[in-house]
Amino acid sequence: MERVIANLPLLLSGFHTTLQLAAGALVLALLLGTLVALLRVSPFRVLRVAGAAYVEFLRNTPLLVHMFFWVFGLPFLGITLPEFVGALLGLAFYTSAFVAEAVRAGILSVSRGQIEAARSLGLSYAQTMRWVVLPQAFAITVPPLGNLAIALTKNTSVASAVLVAELMYQAEVVNARTFATYETFGVTGALYLALTLPLGWLVSRLERRLTRYRSA
Amino acid sequence: MQLDRLFGYRYWKAFLEPEIWVFLLTGLQATLTIAVAAIALSLVFGTLLALARLGRLPLLHYPAVLYIEVIRALPVLFLIFFFFFGGARGFSVAGVRVSWTDPIVAAIVALTAYTSAVNAEIVRAGILSIEKGQLEAARALGLPYIQMMRLVVLPQALRRMVPPLVSQFITLVKDTSLAYVIGTHELLNKAKILYSGFETGPIQALFVAALIYLTINYSLSRFSRRFEVRPGEELRAEIAAEAGTVAPVPAKG
Repeated sequence: MERVIANLPLLLSGFHTTLQLAAGALVLALLLGTLVALLRVSPFRVLRVAGAAYVEFLRNTPLLVHMFFWVFGLPFLGITLPEFVGALLGLAFYTSAFVAEAVRAGILSVSRGQIEAARSLGLSYAQTMRWVVLPQAFAITVPPLGNLAIALTKNTSVASAVLVAELMYQAEVVNARTFATYETFGVTGALYLALTLPLGWLVSRLERRLTRYRSA
Repeated sequence: MQLDRLFGYRYWKAFLEPEIWVFLLTGLQATLTIAVAAIALSLVFGTLLALARLGRLPLLHYPAVLYIEVIRALPVLFLIFFFFFGGARGFSVAGVRVSWTDPIVAAIVALTAYTSAVNAEIVRAGILSIEKGQLEAARALGLPYIQMMRLVVLPQALRRMVPPLVSQFITLVKDTSLAYVIGTHELLNKAKILYSGFETGPIQALFVAALIYLTINYSLSRFSRRFEVRPGEELRAEIAAEAGTVAPVPAKG
């Protein structure tokens, strides 16, 4: 245990990178996912089909394949990104497919009458989305988005496979240095739980509060 | 930028050779071995965990709650590494020492450990979705607990569990690719070997591997849609599967 404690700064630096990776990918995934959701509910068939293809491809293929594409695939085309950026893009694009589905379900839950009312008041399609549909859609979308934040936090660990020095990567380093497998994984697991358990608790509370006054 | 490399014949031509496909498909075989073994085992252990959590025996209830809540909050990759390094050093289970060095075994143990915890919650939610009146009727008929579960509750609950379980299996098939990190020769690793040896370009090999995963998972999700899923339910199941949490089962009616 003493040897693991001596290596604690390494694990904490990994934890710091994990947090940066999660925060960056989450912001980007929300933006991308909302854009794709708008494609999926657009009045144009071509855009709807493109949105559906994007979602089906990304959510049915492994995250690690996406990370490999950004980190090992792009240099083949002459574009080399730092591993951290590649991992962040892989994670963000992957998660955006699920975000898109959650936001789309929220948008579809806003009744047609409201959209017609907004349009008849002279609001443009973009204005209707911005001022009428999206604010209401997000209230319904919050619990699934919370669940996705948990998934994304856990999925940051996959970045270790493309050599990003986040928590899981550092845990392997400490394990190789100390051979104290149980202690190293105990500390590392506790750090992950410190992120995911409070998040999970928050999401289930929100879920109960938001559905309290709504019949299924 | 060298976009021409994306469509260059020389980076694709290896896929015209049957040996390349045999090479990739042996990887798929390992992928499916891990996935099928973990699916079968996690259904058994998941059901046992759910029954332990639902039961009133504190000696079974609390350990089940602890296991489920901790394991599903951990990253799958963490568990894969843990059971790989831990398996080499050995675990003692009820006084018996077990150890393994085969990465396929480590991957199956890790994915089973994780998926059992999530499946337990799916099974529990399915059982809790059965109306109270049915349990009372079964009790009134004098059915013992085990028979009530087997004859009344589980057959009905099972149908409601199919969509979330299938979502979980899609996640599992994707997660088998993580076994790459411990040196398992599954599909993704084979694709990487292909392009590392300059047989194909990296984007080409990754794309073909992605298409194989896509085919399996898309068929799985098509299958699940046959179970009269309500709108929105499939989505919730899928997002929950991704997070390792469980979507609340809507009350009937």
